[in-house]
Amino acid sequence: MERPSEFAAPAERAWTRSAVLVPVFALISLVAGALPSFSLSANLLVLCTGGSLFWIGVSNTVREVQPLPRVPAVAAWWIVPFGLLILVEAATFLLGSTDSHPTLSRLADPVLERYLARSALFYGWMTAFWGMARR
Amino acid sequence: MMSLRVLVIALFLAAIALLGVVETVARRERSAVPTLGEMCGFVMSYRLGWLPVGRIGVFGFWWWLGWHFFAR
Repeated sequence: MERPSEFAAPAERAWTRSAVLVPVFALISLVAGALPSFSLSANLLVLCTGGSLFWIGVSNTVREVQPLPRVPAVAAWWIVPFGLLILVEAATFLLGSTDSHPTLSRLADPVLERYLARSALFYGWMTAFWGMARR
Repeated sequence: MMSLRVLVIALFLAAIALLGVVETVARRERSAVPTLGEMCGFVMSYRLGWLPVGRIGVFGFWWWLGWHFFAR
């Protein structure tokens, strides 16, 4: 398949370099890991970091990779895992998300109570956000 | 109903494993299957006139997902 090419000579900004972003994301994640759910500080941190990354992404500030002009029919393979995920999530949600049929977020709750896991997943969330903003 | 819980967890794990399988296939050389990143890029390229609907939708969803898991 024809892979998308990089945009022509994007001027790299100092703040978009890994040497800057990795420690900044790590620092924010270490703080985020210590903030409990439903707290005002957790809400503010997610709203501020998410809002900043949303704005960077929508405004095309760091966009570097050209999107595919069209996707081939074989891309339909992506429907299988996402379809299964959505189906199970929707079914468990409609059944009330109880212990016997939990939603993904209910399953994630005990994991997210641990500081390191919460920090690591927050870091992953921000990194994925950044990765999409570059596309 | 413990068995139902195990089944739900198994189905979630199967979906996540399938995501990994399709991504691995997509990353093979000369693969016709686009990667997840390429699929995201394609969805995000959708516009309604001047409005980048695809980018707003994808980033909005990801923002909400972060709030759902880390703030509430």
